[in-house]
Amino acid sequence: MSQLHLSDEILMAFADGELDGPTTTAIAKTMAEDPAVAKRITDFQQSRRLTRSVFSAGSMLDVPPQLRASVSAQIETYEAARRASSDSHVESARRGWFHRKSSFVQMALAASIAAVALSLGYFAGSREGAGAGGLMAQLETPAVHRTLSTIASGQDVELPFGRLRVISTYRLADGSLCREFRLQAAKEATNAVACRRNDWNTTFAVAIAVTEAEYAPSDGDDLMTTYLRNISAGEALMGDAEARALAEPGR
Amino acid sequence: MPAAIGQELVALLPRLRRFALVLCRSQPLADDLVQGACERALANADSWSPGTKFDAWMFRILRNYWIDHLRRMRTEGMAEDLSQQTQLIGDPGEGPILSRLALTDVQRAIDNLPQEQREVLLLVCAEDLSYRETAEILGVPIGTVMSRLARARKRLMELTAAA
Repeated sequence: MSQLHLSDEILMAFADGELDGPTTTAIAKTMAEDPAVAKRITDFQQSRRLTRSVFSAGSMLDVPPQLRASVSAQIETYEAARRASSDSHVESARRGWFHRKSSFVQMALAASIAAVALSLGYFAGSREGAGAGGLMAQLETPAVHRTLSTIASGQDVELPFGRLRVISTYRLADGSLCREFRLQAAKEATNAVACRRNDWNTTFAVAIAVTEAEYAPSDGDDLMTTYLRNISAGEALMGDAEARALAEPGR
Repeated sequence: MPAAIGQELVALLPRLRRFALVLCRSQPLADDLVQGACERALANADSWSPGTKFDAWMFRILRNYWIDHLRRMRTEGMAEDLSQQTQLIGDPGEGPILSRLALTDVQRAIDNLPQEQREVLLLVCAEDLSYRETAEILGVPIGTVMSRLARARKRLMELTAAA
């Protein structure tokens, strides 16, 4: 038992009841014989009690009424959608859509918004006013494609119809390169993803309200996050890795 | 099973928010994180296997949600919005929610730990999750959970020993 290496991790695991039988017995014996070891173990027990009491302080567990209300509203929407879809085939239609990888383009713009919105259990109605016509129609222009091939993530370029800003770049499992970007005009803005196969093709786009001055994670932003997860975007390519990927010929 | 997910979610809200505060140390952002994670959970309700722990499943969703946002803010925040970016990472000058409660030395000591240590501390010592469950939530090996946890607790004991 003197062979047992009494690391902090082992003694902590003992204090937390995470060890198996033989080791537990050996440590218990040492603890009885060696006050220094006993002290280290009781310190771990003490730290656990202290931590628990800090995290259990009443105010740590108070949920603001607004948060509670908004989550309750989400749940109601979810449950309503569940009831409504139990006799339709929305779910399978949505899955099929994400698996189709070619010939997206125009139809894709409308359908993808609907599909992702459905999967989140709410509808993108609030964004209709942002205008799906103007900027959305510019997504496939040569100027946009050229810009996507050149600038790094985080950079902006002014185009005749608005400012294009690339947000991030991803490599999909099939090797194709996809970029998330934002096209912003005076009165409307669009977040989109384009993937390169010979040329850039827009695979997803969502209109967003331009008044969105503050950090708002659970709106169009989250549709985008959901989409990126659906295509298994993974980690964003940064710096040199991104530059090298952009320099490859289109595939 | 997913029929009951709403109730589970409401019951878990206080603990979800507490975890969110430990991750980002900003009250408004924590509330956004919880809201976003709930939305994501409902959208993926079918992927929760009945019989597995709902809290561990939700903690993992919340944490992944947080990481997605850090990742996107990192690239998007490069050219502008630096102030926003620092706020996201938990600018200590921003008056994190926890500091208002920092009545004890333990509280302060926990606040000052790195995020990776704060989160294991919460999950193991306050949530009573096992090392293995914690490792699964964080997506790291058990050995990593143990070394972070031991370091955090030793540091706590050092910092509070004088008090």
